[in-house]
Amino acid sequence: MTVFLRAGGQLRAMIKPDVDHYTRKVEIEGGKTIGEILEHISLNPAFVALMYVDGAMKDLSYKPADGETITLQPPVSGG
Amino acid sequence: MVDGWDQERLKRARVLVAGVGGLGGLSATYLAEAGVGYLRICDSDKVELSNLNRQILYTAADIGKPKAMLAAKRLYAQNPEIEIEAVLDTLTETNAGELASGCDLIVDGLDSHSGRLKLNKASFDLNIPYIYGAIREWMGQLSFFNPPKTACLACLMPGELKIPGPTPVFGALAAAVGSLQATLALKYLMTGEIPAANALLIFRADTIVFEKVTFERRPGCGVCGDAAPPGPRR
Repeated sequence: MTVFLRAGGQLRAMIKPDVDHYTRKVEIEGGKTIGEILEHISLNPAFVALMYVDGAMKDLSYKPADGETITLQPPVSGG
Repeated sequence: MVDGWDQERLKRARVLVAGVGGLGGLSATYLAEAGVGYLRICDSDKVELSNLNRQILYTAADIGKPKAMLAAKRLYAQNPEIEIEAVLDTLTETNAGELASGCDLIVDGLDSHSGRLKLNKASFDLNIPYIYGAIREWMGQLSFFNPPKTACLACLMPGELKIPGPTPVFGALAAAVGSLQATLALKYLMTGEIPAANALLIFRADTIVFEKVTFERRPGCGVCGDAAPPGPRR
């Protein structure tokens, strides 16, 4: 299946975007969780504070469908 | 007058602004100018040069001086008709409850996730709603927490956040998120309505995009969930 990872901030460079400035395309076997997809691209999930798909918060156990975009949010804690 | 504006309710309102840096300085300014009757502002920091790109209450002449005292003075100058209490202290697990006690609302102006989790716990224990806000680089986040009506911050991000290096922030972003926090606060104080419940509002300043991401209360949350230890909940 194909999924897309989208990230901003310091995560953007970590996902190595190849579709546009913020997005990377990942080809992977179906049925994988977000956690497994991050492992596939060697991204430490500790750097991801939140993740969401289509405006709904998800976690590492979520299994995206083919074509879905997973947005990864880095830690945001300044004030 | 703005439709729905209730000045009398604002006069009676009591708000804790925890941290008067970039976010808190901005939100406290708008709360003071709107006539919120009582503001308790808490900050243990002194003004530093690096603050001046976004912390609108301070000037270069203030470097080295305590923020809480300066903020109180500047806010009072903006609206001498309100009461302002300045607390020169660091928010801790021990004093968070005392700092929030007697307030109708907590507005977040902190600069650490660990501090925010302490504030979140106090918010839950005292049943005082908490308007969360945070910024980093081009991203701002905010939400309104008031469990059990909504989830709490620990439902969303229960643990320490792994931050690789210092937190760069620019001024206009702090103003954008701080003013949105003030907007949520004023709406709640005047109407009792909870704006954007169970939603994280994300502002991406580099693409000028606002996103609303929904989430739910987590039954296993250590603060507001079924598994949370019984506490002094009001």
